[in-house]
Amino acid sequence: MLNKYLKANIPAAKALVKELRKTYDYASILGSYVLVKRIVVGTANSAIDELESECGFVVKVYKDGRYKEYSCDSLEGLKAKDIVRAVNLKNVCSSEFNVKMLEEKEHVEDFLREDPDKISDKEIVRRLTEIKDDMHKNEKVINTNCVYIKRETSKIFVSEKKCLTQKYDWINAMLVVVTRDGNKIKDNYHAEGEASSLKALNLLKKDSKNVLDIAVRLLDAGPIKPGKYTIITDPSISGLIAHEAFGHGVEMDMFVKNRAKARDYVGKYVASPIVDMYDGAKGVVSAASYFFDDDGVEAHKTQIIKKGILQTGISDSLSALTLGTEPTGNGRRESYKRKVYTRMTNTYFGKGNDKLEDMIKSVKHGYFLFQTNNGMEDPKNWQIQCTASYGLEIKDGKLTGKIVSPVVISGYVVDLLSSISMVSDKVKVIGSGMCGKGHKEWVYVSDGGPYLKAEAKLG
Amino acid sequence: MKKNDIIRCLKAHKEISDYQLIIRNKDSRELFYVLDHLEINRAVKTATTIINVYVSNEKFTGSSTVTVTSADDVKSLDKKIKDAVKKAKDVKNLYYPLPPKQEQVTEKRTKKEDLNAIAGNVARAVFAADVYKEGWLNSTEIFVSNTDTQFLDSKGTKHEAESFSIGVEVIPTWSKNGEEIELYKYYESSALDYKAITKEIDELLQNARERADAVTPKKVKLPKDLKVLVKNDMLQLILDTISFDINYRNLYFKENHYNLKDEISGSRFSLTMKPVIKGCARSARFDEDGIVLKNTRIIKDGKVEKLWGSNRFAYYLKKKVTGNLPLMELEGPRSEYKNEKHLIIENFSSPQLEETSGYWGGEVRLARYFDGEKYIPLTGFSISGNIYEDLKTVELSGENAILPNYKGPKYLIFKGIKIH
Repeated sequence: MLNKYLKANIPAAKALVKELRKTYDYASILGSYVLVKRIVVGTANSAIDELESECGFVVKVYKDGRYKEYSCDSLEGLKAKDIVRAVNLKNVCSSEFNVKMLEEKEHVEDFLREDPDKISDKEIVRRLTEIKDDMHKNEKVINTNCVYIKRETSKIFVSEKKCLTQKYDWINAMLVVVTRDGNKIKDNYHAEGEASSLKALNLLKKDSKNVLDIAVRLLDAGPIKPGKYTIITDPSISGLIAHEAFGHGVEMDMFVKNRAKARDYVGKYVASPIVDMYDGAKGVVSAASYFFDDDGVEAHKTQIIKKGILQTGISDSLSALTLGTEPTGNGRRESYKRKVYTRMTNTYFGKGNDKLEDMIKSVKHGYFLFQTNNGMEDPKNWQIQCTASYGLEIKDGKLTGKIVSPVVISGYVVDLLSSISMVSDKVKVIGSGMCGKGHKEWVYVSDGGPYLKAEAKLG
Repeated sequence: MKKNDIIRCLKAHKEISDYQLIIRNKDSRELFYVLDHLEINRAVKTATTIINVYVSNEKFTGSSTVTVTSADDVKSLDKKIKDAVKKAKDVKNLYYPLPPKQEQVTEKRTKKEDLNAIAGNVARAVFAADVYKEGWLNSTEIFVSNTDTQFLDSKGTKHEAESFSIGVEVIPTWSKNGEEIELYKYYESSALDYKAITKEIDELLQNARERADAVTPKKVKLPKDLKVLVKNDMLQLILDTISFDINYRNLYFKENHYNLKDEISGSRFSLTMKPVIKGCARSARFDEDGIVLKNTRIIKDGKVEKLWGSNRFAYYLKKKVTGNLPLMELEGPRSEYKNEKHLIIENFSSPQLEETSGYWGGEVRLARYFDGEKYIPLTGFSISGNIYEDLKTVELSGENAILPNYKGPKYLIFKGIKIH
């Protein structure tokens, strides 16, 4: 159910919008209530908290070709004149700039997607403790953290023409295992993201044995010999490539700033003809699935690459207004305290026709790469840096048992995407990621795809 | 909600052994530019109120954290605290006491400037450097903030600190032969020094110019055993990793590579953790447990001199509490590098350091190679190494730098780093 406090504030929001319209050409209010429950069961460090929970409002106004925003905790006692005073800049340092005003259509709708499971904190602690205890049966394990996070998000969006509400839940369950052998220390993790608490916890339990096996094997992992190799990426690394290599480059606020090379490549080949790629809060149910974005725009599913050809980018309202395009429902804030940017939601490659076994068999010498570790975008110059936690060597079509860690993929985006020669027939979207813009503005995202075979520079 | 109402609510729950209350009020102004056009400006007036509830017995200390929002009234807060007590009972961490009452810290700023005016002045200082025909600031974000932090706990500790900070995110671009390149920088300071901002932005534009001229290392044939100099984010990441390695928490979980008296490096450097350094944006006189922080030297002459860390893990290890100190100062003998061939890494795509294995490196967006006569800008390559090995022969540069949580030599100088 939508948070009661937000619901009770809808009349106040409408009244404030009406009052602000006397001064401004446009006014809207976004209300946000996020309840985050985090349960950690660790080797010697457990906690149950609601540290990331928050509640607040963003007032957006427009006049004379420019938007202004005011973020606050409450609408109670807030007068239009307080907002005018706070956002009114004297002696502005700026050249002339005119953005068009948002034109909205009448829209009143409510949306609800809730966790179907009612599960007590005590039961969650019991399940996480069981996993933790299983890990410690191996003497090489020195530390374990099992984490359950449930985010319950309620939002309202009120303007003269719109009154939208939404409530959606998302659950993450994560496991981190640290192993030690003498002075060698390694860690491994796994995260699940689901719309159901029970499903997330059950999957974590199922995956935990493999997480432990890899954490122990990583103690024997060495660095990779830098060079160019044939790679097969698991859905996590495929998603990382989709996200870092290309996703950031098609965020259209980057087009506005002429910061994205992709702007000049719409309608051109940017990948192998067997590659499709999507983004959208509407495409799949995952970590970044919602009904409307933080601009009050309905969620979309956007096909970014079709058969290797770049189709379009994704955008928030302000970028779309500047570029003269339709917003795609990708306007997102880290919190009500922050600005909207164009952000990815659920970003993934589409499926192909190949079987994973055939893909492995086809590799003469290369690496099967697993587990997202880190990534960084460079939308202007299309250089990429994606780090896989580990790689398994493939020689003459077979896994040799050799493990390397970590593995950094670098190079030129189009070279990497154009080298994709096989795409598996199953897609997995992993709803447990977080994404920053530059080095800040963290939002929850998912990414994924099928297994991909490509050529890449590894180090 | 008023502070006294929260305290009254906490005191009404007799099962609570201890509590901490942290209130952070933030008032900021934010300007977002596309080129030199102000696209949107924002004002932010928010409060973050966090309560830590502790329920202890002889064996265990359980805790739970509650965030108080504008949606709360006394009735809902009472329910939240009741739930928090229940949750704290479900958490079974080994017993540890809260720190005893600390000497009060009160840090008031005498003068509070008009944030709108300061934001405008910072913008003028930034764009004063934007004077080149081939180079420009493509995207600029300016944040100026006043933050008031109050801490109080059930032991009687009360602190209050007011702070001011400036943050500037800039994306400089340079165009050459129809090709454009860009770099990224987040400048952060607690000092209102407009000239320093202009200088910083100008240096960044110069770096962008160099990246536009940059070639790959293949074109210059780098010698073996070249001295590699790292700075800024990578320098901070390395020192953060080393200092955290000998933090009580890491030792308690046996995730440490070093222990007391161990030799980290043959270089005789010293590292001191500090609460406050002039100009460092992350200065703080007390930590999240209210511990009043003091300078603590943790490395002397390349060897671990002292372990350090928070109240809880200090208690577990039966060590003296130092608190979580936010800043570090590096000192030691300086090396001359300017007359021999060397490579300065100006900008990584994203510096990486895996603290467990020690792997460090990353893709380099801009480096400057000194071939014995001149600097040649390089791009399109990566470096990697093992920090626990590479630190053994690290050297410190003669130049100095102040970063958000660091004061000391501008460069760490390494040998034998893989360049690929």
